[in-house]
Amino acid sequence: MFRDITYSDASRLDALDETHTKFVMDEDTFRAFYDRTARGVWAYLARVTGDRQMADDLLQEAFYRFLRADAEHDNETHRRNSLYRIATNLARDARRRSLVRIPALIGGDDIERVAGRCNHAGETETQTDVSRAMSRMKPRERAMLWLAYAEGASHREIADVLGVSPDSMKSLLFRARRKMAELLRGKDGRQ
Amino acid sequence: MSPVECDFEADVLSAVMQSRWPEQTDSSLVTHASTCPVCSDVVAVAGVVDESREALRTEAHLPDSGRVWWVAQMRARREAAKTAGRPITVVQVLAFACAMGLMGACFGATSQWFQSALQRMGAGFDVQQLMAATGTAITEHGILTLLVIALMVAIPGAIYLVVVRE
Repeated sequence: MFRDITYSDASRLDALDETHTKFVMDEDTFRAFYDRTARGVWAYLARVTGDRQMADDLLQEAFYRFLRADAEHDNETHRRNSLYRIATNLARDARRRSLVRIPALIGGDDIERVAGRCNHAGETETQTDVSRAMSRMKPRERAMLWLAYAEGASHREIADVLGVSPDSMKSLLFRARRKMAELLRGKDGRQ
Repeated sequence: MSPVECDFEADVLSAVMQSRWPEQTDSSLVTHASTCPVCSDVVAVAGVVDESREALRTEAHLPDSGRVWWVAQMRARREAAKTAGRPITVVQVLAFACAMGLMGACFGATSQWFQSALQRMGAGFDVQQLMAATGTAITEHGILTLLVIALMVAIPGAIYLVVVRE
């Protein structure tokens, strides 16, 4: 009887003040934003963590934290950078938690899986090379190169996403690019 | 110290990303890239990373945006409910502390009777004497005794209800 006159869990949740569940955007805006960005963010997370399953989990977490963040975004670029910054932090935290089991970036079986799904022989070889080269780089270097050449981000945007000084971005990117180029050329040199 | 940037870097990058490299690119730029360490690295890396992006993007199995929104809503509400529940827990703890304080006060008020009862029990356990002492306590401190008994029943009951509901 006592339970009959109390709120059910669902109605209790509905009765909560809306300010507690406030998101940075409404549903329609979010869905459009998600459709535009989710695939790119997933690819970024998969590259940086080297784990597709982790990328699946972190993607949802990243969008949730983005929605709950107490932030105002001036434009689409700002919004996107904010999302990538959250994704970067999540990937870093996840990596710290699972340092023991962290594999090479999309390494081992994943490399073969990526390769196997590519139809074109040349494309397959390229994917395998990239995966192997990336797997030998530091997570921050991977993130940097991905943002620069897969997402087309500027130095300032990369610095903002990764939380490094914009002044040091040029030299950091140069070193990461050099390292990857040498890894890619190293493969050519053996042939 | 080798340079970390080149004036032609943006042009080279643009040509690579637009798949114009090297056939549809100015030959002087191609020649430059073959000797410039910065531009040659850009050529080696940018194109393959971009290709990798396209391949990886097709691998993503993303949940529907509506589902992600709904899950986020549910989670936010759950967290809000949890946050809202925190002050209630604090109040419950305070109420428990007050009740314990009240019990202590009651015990202090009846301690003379309690100590004398203990002494009588120590002297020799006598059921009749105990019943008489209890009767005396009820008649002399009736309200306080009843209050103590009520609290001893009510507090465990309240704790049980809270635990069951959570």
